[in-house]
Amino acid sequence: MESAKQIIDSYNGRKLRVMEVCGTHTHEIFRLGIRRILPPQIELISGPGCPVCVTPAGYIDEAVMLALEHGAVICTFGDLIRVPGSEMSLAGARSKGAAVKTVYSPLDAVDFARENPDKQVVFLAVGFETTVPAACLAVKKAAAEGLANFSILGANKTMPNAYKALKGSADAFLYPGHVNAITGTAVCEGLVKLGVSGVVAGFTADEILTALAVIIRLSASGEPFFRNCYPRVVRPEGSPAALKLMDAIMEPCDAEWRGLGVIPMSGLKLRPAFAAYDARLKFTLPPVAGRSNPACRCGEVLQGKCKSTDCKLFGTACTPLHPVGACMVSNEGACSAYYQYGDILNG
Amino acid sequence: MDNMNKNDFVTLAHGAGGRQTAELIDRVFKAHFSNPDFTGDDAAVLPVDAGKIAFTTDGFIVSPFEFPGGNIGKLSICGTVNDLACMGAKPLYLSCAFVIEEGFPLAKLEEIAAAMKKTADEAGVRIVAGDTKVAGKGQVDHVFITTTGVGQLTEGVRTSGAFAKPGDAVIVTGDVGRHGCTILLARNEFEIDADVTSDCAPLWGTVKSMIDASHDIHVIRDATRGGVGTVLYEIADQSKVGIRLNSADVPVAPEVRGVCGMLGLEPLYLACEGRLVVFAPKSEAPAILEALRKGPYSANAAVIGEVVADHPGKVVMTTEIGAQSLLPQPGGELLPRIC
Repeated sequence: MESAKQIIDSYNGRKLRVMEVCGTHTHEIFRLGIRRILPPQIELISGPGCPVCVTPAGYIDEAVMLALEHGAVICTFGDLIRVPGSEMSLAGARSKGAAVKTVYSPLDAVDFARENPDKQVVFLAVGFETTVPAACLAVKKAAAEGLANFSILGANKTMPNAYKALKGSADAFLYPGHVNAITGTAVCEGLVKLGVSGVVAGFTADEILTALAVIIRLSASGEPFFRNCYPRVVRPEGSPAALKLMDAIMEPCDAEWRGLGVIPMSGLKLRPAFAAYDARLKFTLPPVAGRSNPACRCGEVLQGKCKSTDCKLFGTACTPLHPVGACMVSNEGACSAYYQYGDILNG
Repeated sequence: MDNMNKNDFVTLAHGAGGRQTAELIDRVFKAHFSNPDFTGDDAAVLPVDAGKIAFTTDGFIVSPFEFPGGNIGKLSICGTVNDLACMGAKPLYLSCAFVIEEGFPLAKLEEIAAAMKKTADEAGVRIVAGDTKVAGKGQVDHVFITTTGVGQLTEGVRTSGAFAKPGDAVIVTGDVGRHGCTILLARNEFEIDADVTSDCAPLWGTVKSMIDASHDIHVIRDATRGGVGTVLYEIADQSKVGIRLNSADVPVAPEVRGVCGMLGLEPLYLACEGRLVVFAPKSEAPAILEALRKGPYSANAAVIGEVVADHPGKVVMTTEIGAQSLLPQPGGELLPRIC
């Protein structure tokens, strides 16, 4: 039997554009140097898979406003702290006296709120289906305990409508195994009918190479396809418990993606029954239209329209220590990966 | 002394320089550090042999102050002893300065002093001078220690970060990332249970075994903050050489690899406190490895790469799929207060 690597090495078919839509895939693909062993016809594109990268500037502006104008303690995953807003990042707000606390789980923010009843605590709920259940659990717990000083600033996103919006950017998607572990595979099977192809992939070197080899084999027919190449973790039905929890607490809404604009019904917001935990309503935040640096090409990078290295800011004005665009902030961002693992001899 | 026994905590009076300070020194420090060169005078008076001495200092503020595999006392001896050892210097004398938070339990202070004594004895070094200050509650986190040391340079051995040459083998003396991983878990922020202990160890014996096996060693550096990855970039920069690394050859304990996998960390960037990175000509590597593998702290020593003339200043890794990838430059996300 041919190994995945042999199938990839011997590929001499038409050009294949494969988009990964998970930050961990992006990071692993760069770390392992997978792009360097692919034949030239196979192009890997880092799509909008890193939650930090797709967070629009306006969202950061809202968080800064909550911290500086409303005196709220912002609890967030660490990556978000350095993402540029229109005027400043949360790190910038912190230097102006904002209270910004790094947490590793939304439940840590609930604990912090309970221990500090005199403070308003806002958790920045970003992320895809992998992190949504934890945010929902935090809200559920806060509601059960009647915590009046906890709320979330929501920017959670879901992948299905993003795939539709990105159709045409790639010949096949490398579906994010962790997301599918929650959502199951029905959505991806449904996408086949819309002409969207892809395979669910795991995260080890073998799993990523296998997924690419399967894409090569299934692309040969020219018909749209789907395969679950991560069956040890992803079951067709996903995680019913997590899906039930999400459905009880949140409902679909339109969502703005940095660089991609508003994708209908690609986000999640709290259901009306949990409105008391929605920071936008609680603090009556005005609508915010964020502004990104116009020279930044993160949006095109996320759609595979250009490479990180095509951006004028890359590696000069925009570096991991001084990021201009969101894709340079997170370890899982395409620009950060290009910068860190980049071209060996010319980088 | 009777007063002391009833007094379970360090108080500001213990740092005031009066009778209670003397009692604290007698009970904790003199009791543990006692040796002929440790006198009550203002400074230790020490014999100096011919040749050169190495001289270094290091401050320790690790949080938590005790962790699986050691405590801040052991760490404070290892850190300075290892810095001397990396220069090929036999550690001779140490001083230690304590800043203790008001309310710190005396029993814990005794545990720290006992660990320092035990580690110093193992390293063959004498603690000959000290200082004790007490800071108000909240002004320091439990206890901070600064140690300063002198060592006697071994004749014929001269190491420096600038001496790596193309053709050198790159050796690590054991599995990487243990200390950083241990501290990360000891802080309980991730609620991950894993059986990981710090590699914190005094390494003069390890260095001596190497220089007894070969005097032709170019670089010895202890991989503390920033881990082995940071050391490799430092050496590539200082020596203006390229380094090629084979990721499959880097020893990492399975539990450390597991924790790193969960948290998205690179073991090469986690701190060690008992591991050396050694650069020596490839012809010397077998003898050095053989000597290392007999030692208590270097049984898993391994060659992990080589020095090349290409791509100076860069560390290129052959990954598990055989592709070449740049080892990322040390970033700003290192864990604070690990040592």
